[in-house]
Amino acid sequence: MARNKFDVDEKLESSFSFDHIKRLARYLIPFKWLMFATIGLMLLTSVLNMLAPMITREAIDVRLPAGDKKGILVLGGIMVAIYLINAVIVKFRMVTLVKVGQSLVANLRRDIFKHLQILPFDFYDSRPHGKILVRVINYVNSINNLLTGGLINLITDLFTVVIILVLMFTLSLKLSLITLGGVFVFGGIIFAMKNKQRRVWQDYSAKQSNLNAYIHESICGIKVTQSFSREKENQRIFETQCENVRTSFMRAKIIDICNWPMVETISTITTCIVFLVGGADLLSGSGAITTGTLVAFVGYVNMFWTPVLSLCNYYNQLINTAAYLERIFEVMDTPATVEDLPGAVEMPPIKGDVDFRDVTFAYEEGVNILKGLSFSVDRGKTIAVVGPTGAGKTTIINLLSRFYDIQGGEILIDGENITRYTLRSLRSQVGVMLQDTFIFSGTVMDNIRYGRLDATDEEVISAAKTVCAHDFITTLENGYYTEVNERGSRLSVGQRQLISFARALLADPRILILDEATASIDTRTEQALQTGLARLLKGRTSFVIAHRLSTIRGADNIMFIDGGQIVESGTHEQLMAQKGRYYSLCTSQYELG
Amino acid sequence: MKTLKWLFSVYIRPYAGRMIFALCLTMLNTVLSNIRPYLSGRIIDDVFYNGMQNRLVTLVILMFLSIVLKDIFRIIDHYILEGTSQKVVYNIRVALYKSLHKLDFDFFDHNRTGDIMNRLSGDIDSVRHFVAWVLNGILENSCLFLSALFILGFINWQLTLCLLAVTPVIAFFAVAMGKRVGPAFRNARQKLSGLNTVVQENISGNRVVRAFAREDYELEKFDRANLEYRDANIASNRIGQRYIPILDTLANSLNVVVMVVGGIMVITKQMSPGEFVTFNTMSWALNTPMRNVGWLINDSLNAVASGEKIMEFTLERPRIHTEKEHVEKESFEGRVEFRDVSFSYGEEPVLDRVSFTAVPGQTVAIIGETGSGKSTLTNLICRFYDATEGQVLVDGIDVRQLNLRALRRSISIAMQDIFLFSDTIEGNIAYGVPDAPFERVVEAAKMADADGFIRGLPEGYDTIIGERGVGLSGGQKQRIALARAILKNPSILILDDTTSSVDMETEHYIQQTLKKFSAGRTTFIIAHRISAVKDADQILVMEKGRIAERGTHDELLALGGRYKEVYDTQYGNFDAEPVKGGVR
Repeated sequence: MARNKFDVDEKLESSFSFDHIKRLARYLIPFKWLMFATIGLMLLTSVLNMLAPMITREAIDVRLPAGDKKGILVLGGIMVAIYLINAVIVKFRMVTLVKVGQSLVANLRRDIFKHLQILPFDFYDSRPHGKILVRVINYVNSINNLLTGGLINLITDLFTVVIILVLMFTLSLKLSLITLGGVFVFGGIIFAMKNKQRRVWQDYSAKQSNLNAYIHESICGIKVTQSFSREKENQRIFETQCENVRTSFMRAKIIDICNWPMVETISTITTCIVFLVGGADLLSGSGAITTGTLVAFVGYVNMFWTPVLSLCNYYNQLINTAAYLERIFEVMDTPATVEDLPGAVEMPPIKGDVDFRDVTFAYEEGVNILKGLSFSVDRGKTIAVVGPTGAGKTTIINLLSRFYDIQGGEILIDGENITRYTLRSLRSQVGVMLQDTFIFSGTVMDNIRYGRLDATDEEVISAAKTVCAHDFITTLENGYYTEVNERGSRLSVGQRQLISFARALLADPRILILDEATASIDTRTEQALQTGLARLLKGRTSFVIAHRLSTIRGADNIMFIDGGQIVESGTHEQLMAQKGRYYSLCTSQYELG
Repeated sequence: MKTLKWLFSVYIRPYAGRMIFALCLTMLNTVLSNIRPYLSGRIIDDVFYNGMQNRLVTLVILMFLSIVLKDIFRIIDHYILEGTSQKVVYNIRVALYKSLHKLDFDFFDHNRTGDIMNRLSGDIDSVRHFVAWVLNGILENSCLFLSALFILGFINWQLTLCLLAVTPVIAFFAVAMGKRVGPAFRNARQKLSGLNTVVQENISGNRVVRAFAREDYELEKFDRANLEYRDANIASNRIGQRYIPILDTLANSLNVVVMVVGGIMVITKQMSPGEFVTFNTMSWALNTPMRNVGWLINDSLNAVASGEKIMEFTLERPRIHTEKEHVEKESFEGRVEFRDVSFSYGEEPVLDRVSFTAVPGQTVAIIGETGSGKSTLTNLICRFYDATEGQVLVDGIDVRQLNLRALRRSISIAMQDIFLFSDTIEGNIAYGVPDAPFERVVEAAKMADADGFIRGLPEGYDTIIGERGVGLSGGQKQRIALARAILKNPSILILDDTTSSVDMETEHYIQQTLKKFSAGRTTFIIAHRISAVKDADQILVMEKGRIAERGTHDELLALGGRYKEVYDTQYGNFDAEPVKGGVR
């Protein structure tokens, strides 16, 4: 599996496509009327703004020479009215843009998050978590303005450009064509730079993502770093990463910085040409152009370039954010490898018969972890799975919850293939206590209740009592209401295991899987715990992976796994009598000095 | 204010020369930007109306040159500003990261990853925006405003005074807005932290989420945080929505004043029509800064809010650090002594008057109930926390009097809660000794019995493993962590439950190699399996923060206490039928 680490840029194969923009635009659909209204009002504002110079001209040309005080006051009144209307529109625009923009971002973020929930373990295992996080949080935030403020400006600017162009063409075809020539040159340059510009922004976003991944990992692994006194080395790596971000940003930004000066230079050149050509025409007296026309035309040329520049800025923004957008949609397009099959049904309550028939499985194509594994377990039995690390023990139980789909064979529960059922209904009945305990930030109570959300406090406490977690929890500062953070601060690994044990138990699973669930729990607690469990789990099938003999011994059946196959199987006594692999495994622990 | 002062004196001052140069360019550009309209006007007046045809080409060339010059200035100007802001950001980030590594474990026990991450990304970005654009904007707008004020005041001071009458009103609204923006903005940032935490936990805990089929619940939790963040953003924008249109209208009102008051002054012959036109064309130079003042205040306050958070963070002082007067000692033999050591996390007592001595060459095993203080005890040797009472001594010196880095360099700890980095296996094993030659890495891996499975991986030692080592089994992770600790070649080796997830045969093998390795160093082993502790020179049985029993395996068996009890559970009935227990 191609894994990614913090200092490797993520590759992106897809090329820039407007499909991404179109896809994003779909998020605007719920707000289309609001957007139309805003655009309409913005066009009205542009028209109103064009009125202002006319009022001034009226004052200078007509009212002042006439000494018309009343007229001046009327004009002032009209201006006040225009500005007030303007203020209302500005406010409306701001309110709409924020509302639409924030909602759009929230909806997009919800979709990416929702998709994350169905992605396989692989997705999470093959890249630093910081790189996923940055997409959901930072990248989505950067989309905010693209389709709201940006889009509205785009439309009003286009509107302005078209109006001015029409006015220019009515004045002089020749001069208009010269101006348009400038626009084409400008457009050509922008277009030619498109790929380069896109690359530099992508590079920047990749570097940002690397930095984020490194920061995330640095915080999560800070205790290791401090205990290995690795601070200096990490600082060096971090500085390199910051430097990479900085240089890639500057490389991308320089293009942005040059944009406006480029527009201005081109616009000046066209104005100069307009002056020269228009001037020559005028002075040659051919009569094609009059002084008034030329003056008016130059006025329009000046007005013309501002919206062109904002169009160009918008295009830039599009290219920049496209780099983020691609990453977002990349996540949303990652297929979920394990999904409900069409026509999957709710699983009825599990009775507990488990059958593996000729199961073949590989995480990576060609490297089979399980090769034609078959076994069956009757309801209510306890199966211990033992074997060297990396033998495939965890894999077997992962398959039972259908965390992965198998390449060959069948897995049956109560005689039915598990793929017939919805993942939800299957997993909610199969309780797994994972090797990696994970504690969420929140109270101890919340953490245990994660197993069954509608459990009462009493039920939570009784689950904690069953796994012998009650005693230590009550000694915590606020007992069950003690806040723990996501790294489970202050709790020892054993305590964390007890909490996740209680969590698994509370879920009231029909099949319970304990994957080294008690490795870090002391023997005494474990014994007490098992006595409690034995009562509770009567009649339920359970799978136990463990290395401690005392944990394994009491199982109804022990499967010794190596190389993805069952090497030995039987009760403790049978296997000990066999004097095979299990026997030597036990005696190695028993070998007392 | 304090924040701004800190920002300026620490981070901006080194670039003061550059910043001032850039700001001068900005002002120059403001002036140059008036040239084009001026020349345009001259061409129309001189050439077209007054027929001075010979001037056309000269003026056109002048216009072209002035713009090219201005544009070059502008590029330089912006490049410097962006560049400087990036450097400032770089410095702040590096400083933050550095102080992060100095902070106590305690800090990380109490602060969420999401919050810390926000300091290093979002908050820094709003400071960047401030340095690159807001500072410049403030200056540019003030220049524009003052120069317009000066020129207009010169032409007609009465009308200028009339125009200025609006300024206090604008200032009033701008300040009112500023006061309210800060808290709203801070609230939005806090909500972002919350959202960050929800998403981050969902990603890190993805296995638990799947295992419990809690996707819907997670989505609910996410929705809450997501919508709260959205609403906080909308709320913080609402303040702008209230004030910006007012400020805008007030700025625009200058045009009305010019029109009405100026117009009447023209009619009453107090002002010439030409001056009226000048006022009209220059009023933008007065009202643009006024219009911008709201935004500038808004953005400045955002930067201040973020700067505060960053400053708080860099000013956070670790409680555990090397004292000024410390014993300079680079190498340690590894003698460890606890004298009446007590420790508590806040109110919760964890260790209660613990005393023992371990000499180099000895292996000390610690066994005891979950939460009895085993890990805490070893954490005190590394000085991750300081003892509340009593003394921890290494080589006869109180750890508080030692150089912290030197102390930690001579101790290797394989923590219970294994954290591996998303790096190659080689990189992970060599974490403590980044420049270790490959042979030594392999050697360490062999000692930890990891070499075999590592070579079985598709890319061997170059295999990149996921964060936290996901993708590896618990036993594999433990062996990599063990190899990592061994490679450091420490005087004191601490193995906190390091073999709990490896199978018994492997454990046996590891023990044999460790026996050789532990010669001449002090080794601490925390474990639950008797097989892991039985060979130790000294076994400490912990109970509720105290050492309940101590001695060798044989002595403790003879004692017939807790240790014997554990032994019996694990071995006693080895050949007999299991009595009870066993998961059924």
